[in-house]
Amino acid sequence: MSRIWLGVVIMILTAGATWAHASDSGFVLLLPTSIYIAAGGATVALTVVLLAILPGGIAHGIFRPMLLRPIAGPPTWVTSLVVSGILLWLVWRGLAGPRDPMANPLTLSVWIVFWIALVSLQGLFGDLWRYLNPWTGAAALIGRITGWRAPLRYPRALGHWPGVLSFLAFAGFLLADPAPADPARLAWAVGGYWAITMTAVLLFGAAWLVRAEGLTLLMRCYGRMGMLARARGRVSLGVPGWRILAAPVPSLGLAILMLLLLGSGSFDGVNETFLWLDLLGLNPLEFPGRSAVVQPNLVGLILANAALVAIFAGFLWLGDRMVGAHTPLRVLICRYAPTMLPIALAYHIAHYLTSFLLDGQYVLAWLAETLGVGHVHVSAGFLNTLGPVRVTWMTQAGVVVAGHVIAILLAHAIAVRAGGDTRRAVISQGPLALFMVAYTVFGLWLLAAPRGA
Amino acid sequence: MTMFKTPTRRGALKTLAGGVAAAGLPLSARYTHAQSAAPIRIGFQQHRTGIGASYGRWYGRATDAAVQKINEEGGINGRPVEIITEDDGTDPKRGAEVVEKFANQHDCDVVLGPLFSNVVTGSAPRAGELKMPYFVVSEGTHVSSGALNRYTLQPGITDVKSQVIAMAPFITDTLGKKVTMIFPDYGFGYDHRDALGPAIEAQGGEILAKIAIPPSETSFTRYFPKIPRDTEVLYHVMVGPAVLTFVKELGEFFSGRGPELFGFIDSLEAVAIDSPSLEFLEGSHFWEGMCRHQQPDESQHATTYRAAVGVDERGASVNDPADVSTYGHMFGCWETLHVIKAGMEAADYSGPEDRAALIEAVEAMDEIPESLDHPQGAKRFNGKTHQVFGRQFITQLQDGYLNRVRTTSIDESFYPDQVDYTLRPF
Repeated sequence: MSRIWLGVVIMILTAGATWAHASDSGFVLLLPTSIYIAAGGATVALTVVLLAILPGGIAHGIFRPMLLRPIAGPPTWVTSLVVSGILLWLVWRGLAGPRDPMANPLTLSVWIVFWIALVSLQGLFGDLWRYLNPWTGAAALIGRITGWRAPLRYPRALGHWPGVLSFLAFAGFLLADPAPADPARLAWAVGGYWAITMTAVLLFGAAWLVRAEGLTLLMRCYGRMGMLARARGRVSLGVPGWRILAAPVPSLGLAILMLLLLGSGSFDGVNETFLWLDLLGLNPLEFPGRSAVVQPNLVGLILANAALVAIFAGFLWLGDRMVGAHTPLRVLICRYAPTMLPIALAYHIAHYLTSFLLDGQYVLAWLAETLGVGHVHVSAGFLNTLGPVRVTWMTQAGVVVAGHVIAILLAHAIAVRAGGDTRRAVISQGPLALFMVAYTVFGLWLLAAPRGA
Repeated sequence: MTMFKTPTRRGALKTLAGGVAAAGLPLSARYTHAQSAAPIRIGFQQHRTGIGASYGRWYGRATDAAVQKINEEGGINGRPVEIITEDDGTDPKRGAEVVEKFANQHDCDVVLGPLFSNVVTGSAPRAGELKMPYFVVSEGTHVSSGALNRYTLQPGITDVKSQVIAMAPFITDTLGKKVTMIFPDYGFGYDHRDALGPAIEAQGGEILAKIAIPPSETSFTRYFPKIPRDTEVLYHVMVGPAVLTFVKELGEFFSGRGPELFGFIDSLEAVAIDSPSLEFLEGSHFWEGMCRHQQPDESQHATTYRAAVGVDERGASVNDPADVSTYGHMFGCWETLHVIKAGMEAADYSGPEDRAALIEAVEAMDEIPESLDHPQGAKRFNGKTHQVFGRQFITQLQDGYLNRVRTTSIDESFYPDQVDYTLRPF
């Protein structure tokens, strides 16, 4: 099995293609972003101070959900089956449809509808992926028709680590492949990945999806950020992040994946900046294209993630020692890694907001043309007009700051729960809080920095 | 003995002027004379993603509009034209792969190339190897410099060197003889630096200083003290996201008491001229390949073209006034497609076996009259250097409007030939 897995990774990493974001950042450079960045950092710092002086249970109180009426959704296998059908049709369109990525429904669906929009919606509202993943429905149908039962047990010793590798392979494709938007190339990658995962699900059962399939793990992680959740037949609604407090502590593999979501997302921002291109010795005004930066981006992705894990672990260790505790590092990482999810999600939403607003128009244009309901003119005007640019940037910044505030509140609530009193929680949280304030400034800087790739 | 049909120059010219007549034919009659009704397949190498995407979007619109017009007029040799778009990612390596796809997978007859010079120079060798006619719209001097090959031509847009040379007389006669240049410190900036100096000196002017700005720079104030005090004209060709910052800081530095400013519209393509910070450019002059803002005496051809590509009197989309086009360059796609049409008709092009004849037909072109096929104006094609020459426009920003103050003649943009591609074998 490991050989098959290695094959998947190699196939995805070596599949050759370009996905770029709208980078008309000239107007952003006119905004007084350094003032906004300072204000964002100060907001997060103020949250830390408030938590230190307010009663210990306050953070917990904020995240208490309220129960809503019980509602019945459609059976998940039916919706999943429909998505499988759509996906196979999209793969066919990728191979046989228009070569223009912005006119091909596969490219539009994978990178705009799924990666930008659906991931964000999953993080905002809750677990939509259980309805929309393209495997469980097909597996259920095969089981019903043929009576097929998975013949193998997923090796529990592997934990979530295959899923971590699978996610990294996806991030590598997104960030380092020369042309991930090319319809045919994407069709091979998507179709191949779907087929291999489908085979693995039939062999190992649904455990494969929740342990070894990177996208399902990513979606389940972000699902923890959703405001809505179903429990015991009832639907509950709470402040984003409430389910993180309610969820069990993740395994080490899953905790590391949560950090990689943030690390990879941040590197997605870094690799477009003048600073990064300068570091590589590239002219940002004449960017030589993605095919010239495959290796640097892969190395950067690995280094960025490794650095994030190391720094995060270091700050946790320091905080723990400051209150004289000797909690094992592994326990600390598993306990606090979920608090990085709101930051990762916020950055995902903020980073892709302009792409969503621009490239989302191509989705509408494709829909309008396909349905024969007229012509949608794709306009980049909002990127080249100061007013809309300011509103867009402030929205991005607001989302990033909100993500960090939620992260601080969650970390505080978890620390209080683990350590007992507020004072110890505040002290042990000191280094992590410092890290989060710094990360706020870094995230906002990324949104404001000139981009050339 | 030649294996190729060699068209005459007269044949090529006749075809260039013939498009208008065909437009009068009823639709049913338009494709009837074709030996084959199969479409002429033109591969369109588009900057769909990557840093050239805003150019690519408008190059796409100009291309679509031109193809619609050509098909309404009966296509090429009675065959409809079909565009096959591939994204080059504004990436030279991918550009070459895309050319290969056009040749090997999509059975294209010819390729319409993009703007970014690095993509063109990355793709042209492959086009040459595949013997694929590669018609580029990149304005780089790389075609006429002799660096490319027999199969690469630039018949629809003039090159930077000729543009700069044509600007020099106006600069020295009208704005001043003491010129300082500010340009980005890489190839695009060097093209301007190397062309302007001799041209200004030939007009009796003088370059006082050449200030190269590192491409990754985003703040410029510290460079401005390097501008000599006796500078009469500041020639600026900055590009990239920091252009607006550059203009703002320049305006603040001089506070309205600085030298005359002369720039290239390349700096501000797809950006509204009434954007914040650009008020500092009021009164300054620009080169424009085609006037973005409608002029009182705009020709009927130019006005028809403007409507066909969906652009209003300020050069923005008719659907969204904030969506400003790359008006100074995108006409090149429209005109290049009409040159392809004229060339194919002169060569009696019927399939890939006639590609060399097509190249020869285009090489045989000389005078290109102003028409709806060539709304930017009359041109002269140099078959030896594969580069077209044309008139240039100088506009002045007055009350937020770019008013044309000078139209240069074609002759003013000439420079000596550096290559004769016709001597190279196919």
